[in-house]
Amino acid sequence: MELKNRQWTHDQFNAVRQEVLNHWPTGKEVDFAAAVKYHEAIPAKRQFAKRLVKAKKNGETLTQPRAGVALIDEHIKLLNYLLTEGEADLLPTTIDSYTRQNQYKEAQNGIEESLKAGRSLLNGFPAVNHGVAGVRRVVESVNAPLQVRHGTPDARLLAEITLAAGYTSYEGGGISYNIPYAKEVSLEKTILDWQYCDRLVGLYAEHGIEINREPFGPLTGTLVPPSISHSVAVIEGLLAVEQGVKNLTLGYGQCGNLLQDVAAIQALEQLAEEYFSKHSCADCILTTVFHQWMGGFPQDESKAFGVISWGAATAGLAKATKVIVKTPHEALGIPTKEANAQGLKATKQLISMLSDQALPATKELEDEINIIKAEARCILNKVVELGQGDYALGAVRAFAAGVLDVPFAPSKYSLNKILPARDNNGAVRLFDVGNLPFTPDLIAFHHDKINERAKAEGRDPSFQMVIDDIYAISKGRLVGRPR
Amino acid sequence: MEKKVKVVLGVIGADCHAVGNKILDYALTAAGFEVINLGVLVPQQDFVNAAIETDAQAILVASLYGHGEIDCRGLRDRCREAGIDDILLYVGGNLVVGKTDFSGVANKFQDMGFDRVYAPGTLPGKVIADLQEDLTARSKESLM
Repeated sequence: MELKNRQWTHDQFNAVRQEVLNHWPTGKEVDFAAAVKYHEAIPAKRQFAKRLVKAKKNGETLTQPRAGVALIDEHIKLLNYLLTEGEADLLPTTIDSYTRQNQYKEAQNGIEESLKAGRSLLNGFPAVNHGVAGVRRVVESVNAPLQVRHGTPDARLLAEITLAAGYTSYEGGGISYNIPYAKEVSLEKTILDWQYCDRLVGLYAEHGIEINREPFGPLTGTLVPPSISHSVAVIEGLLAVEQGVKNLTLGYGQCGNLLQDVAAIQALEQLAEEYFSKHSCADCILTTVFHQWMGGFPQDESKAFGVISWGAATAGLAKATKVIVKTPHEALGIPTKEANAQGLKATKQLISMLSDQALPATKELEDEINIIKAEARCILNKVVELGQGDYALGAVRAFAAGVLDVPFAPSKYSLNKILPARDNNGAVRLFDVGNLPFTPDLIAFHHDKINERAKAEGRDPSFQMVIDDIYAISKGRLVGRPR
Repeated sequence: MEKKVKVVLGVIGADCHAVGNKILDYALTAAGFEVINLGVLVPQQDFVNAAIETDAQAILVASLYGHGEIDCRGLRDRCREAGIDDILLYVGGNLVVGKTDFSGVANKFQDMGFDRVYAPGTLPGKVIADLQEDLTARSKESLM
């Protein structure tokens, strides 16, 4: 099929669907009409979209962990523990990495080895292997809104199975689940495969079933400047809406400087509204998600709580609709359920304490918002120009040209020409803007900010500065100063 | 001019954590090694093939996502079958799912045939120093 940002016809969708449902035997369990009926009976308090809309209206910031293990009963226990002990508002099902690469045989092996070992040898829940009936056991045993969280370039069968089983939110996107999660899968393919997922959600919407969609905001989670992740978020949002998505959450990963992070959440909402109204997507409801620090963590648990709490405070002050929570085990791998609950509770404490405060609208905040928006407009306008009016084609061409570029991405389709580093106040800037289509003023702004820091540290900007910044938080600082 | 020692670097299995891989590539290259970087999502056989094709002295395996135990099992046997049984095998990252006592993890991976096993948070400098030490020891052995 030719890539275009245009809604798939029912015939186009059904032709691909026949093939997708044959990728693994459990695909046969998907019965769309029965799934619609099943969703109609899900009470409002377990519907992700409704919970987010309510939170936005009330100015709440909801908490959500990441969590997933290999076996169904253990997964149910884990989620219920995070609900009761961790007081989570929203719950995830994090999918294992074999499933993310469509390696269902390896996932099956992981299930069997986990049964033998009596502990999970998979880093998530292999939903495709468990099938509609198995996944439904989770849905029926956990009294909270449930979302699928993963990192799957081709997530079509996973979407069919989990949505048919009653999940009410689905994370991912054709760019955000390719560039940080794949090595050599083309963007044409992932954007098409995610148009399928969005169309599936659109199909549910046509039958009156509201399913929340969330493009993955933080990308590589490593010194990603807000304007870059915002550009991707707006593009994925526009593509999703074209396929009929009506409830969308756009995300951003904490960089660490309070002013920049609060500005980023506000700029994200403003940019999305600006571009959505330009392209008549007015009937889609938008909410935001703030991801606590996605980079390297301190190994010491008390220090990790410091990082978690700073992310919680920022999410609260920025008034994001939800916050994705880290755990004190972050530096060491997948957390125990106890550690996961601790991260949630620390976060909730901060969020509740700050519910009556917002960061005051100062000139500095306004300036930062304006910088982010100006940069994102440069990128987005160039994307649409390259695509001759089409955001899907434009995104593919923009990555090839380096107009869109994500630092530290494993994908060969990201040019990797830009280099980010922190400025003297810890905000993430660029000391090499690569091929980003910024105006001379914006390029000079970044140049000056990096030079100001370099001068304060008595060294030239170099890759060493970037490495120092990457390790800084795990070593107790935000800015990686020379010792 | 002295010939550079070649090392194969990659992230094994279905793992796509790229940041540490890029930093190790940079640090090893700066330390004078020739790095054959296979990037992320590397199957076992690709490590072995690359080592044979380039006549590398060491294979440096990373695993950050918790499936290390399943992914790394049998790598030493594959090296043996391919005739490069004496190659140095290092592994590091978040090797198992869950917070576990590291000495147990190290033993498990040493039993699987890895010469060095690194805990989370190890800096590139430590790996480079170990590589230099192990390579020097090997060259002394071969002279005897």
